[in-house]
Amino acid sequence: MFPWLKKKKKKSASVAKDRLKIAIMSDRTGHDLPFMEDLKRDIIEVIKKYKEVSNIEIRKVSHQETDAIAIEVELVEQK
Amino acid sequence: MSKVIAVISGKGGVGKTTTTANVGLGIARNGRQCVVVDFDIGQRNLDMILGLENRVVYDMVQVMDEEARLDQALIRSKANSNLYFLPASQTKDKSVLESEKIEKLLKDLRKRFEYVILDAPAGIESGFEHTIEFADEAIIVVNPEVSSIRDSDRAIGILDSKSRKGKEGGEVKKHLIINRVDPGMVERGEMLATDDILEILSVDLLGIVPEDKGVIDASNQGHPVVLDDESEAGAAYRRIAKRLCGERIPLVEPQVKKEGLVDKLKGLFR
Repeated sequence: MFPWLKKKKKKSASVAKDRLKIAIMSDRTGHDLPFMEDLKRDIIEVIKKYKEVSNIEIRKVSHQETDAIAIEVELVEQK
Repeated sequence: MSKVIAVISGKGGVGKTTTTANVGLGIARNGRQCVVVDFDIGQRNLDMILGLENRVVYDMVQVMDEEARLDQALIRSKANSNLYFLPASQTKDKSVLESEKIEKLLKDLRKRFEYVILDAPAGIESGFEHTIEFADEAIIVVNPEVSSIRDSDRAIGILDSKSRKGKEGGEVKKHLIINRVDPGMVERGEMLATDDILEILSVDLLGIVPEDKGVIDASNQGHPVVLDDESEAGAAYRRIAKRLCGERIPLVEPQVKKEGLVDKLKGLFR
């Protein structure tokens, strides 16, 4: 009835900006660590001696105060 | 000193080829010797925008393979005698590109031209990497739209890591052109504003080109919009070309057109 009384919708440009910031931040991780591929290969080589590796992922984790690299290794379950 | 400038975008369809044509012609109109090279092997678009499609005899792959001489393949622009065009090959695909041959071609072009402008293929595949490999500078063309901006950031990442300059610890100088800006939408908060885009990409701004129907009209005729004195997009490209030629031209943010009463009345009778 009174459309001007409705709460204003958030402008789409600012939604776009927020989404882009997050998307680009996650895209960039992985490109800015040049040793990443070598590191992955080495880790796989070491673990292979003991178990089969199905997937390995390295990513940057940023908390409020610290920047860290998280390494996640998925192993193949042996039956 | 000659400069090799690659025009890149990440995503296709943002106006990269149009930008190459207009910036090249704009530079030539400033009295500089300029060549535009279509690196989009297998596609061929720049010839149409420049209105030179009927003059293509040899292409740059034939020059690289020494099947044709450079001066046989170069086509002089009808619009300005300082501008030359080197066509892409339509029959071969991107896999024909080899670093050594590209380096030699660019070296020969550098001898003859002050500005060597390369129209990169869309995407970030091998064709793209070859275009940026020997570039001194890069013009990144984006639209104020999420997918274009995201993909351009990836292209910039590759530019930094795969270019010769980047590998040698230097940096390819980067310029941003924001293309197809609708000032009305920006004003209403429906389109990303210049500052937002600069904050996200952190690249130096070279120019802002407003959305302009005249661009398509110009392409239809093979008569780039930079030649059109009435066009706002044309004026934006003229300013961009002058900046690339070293002139200090202030940045102009596109403005919402204020329609007067007379214009409104005219509109009724259109």
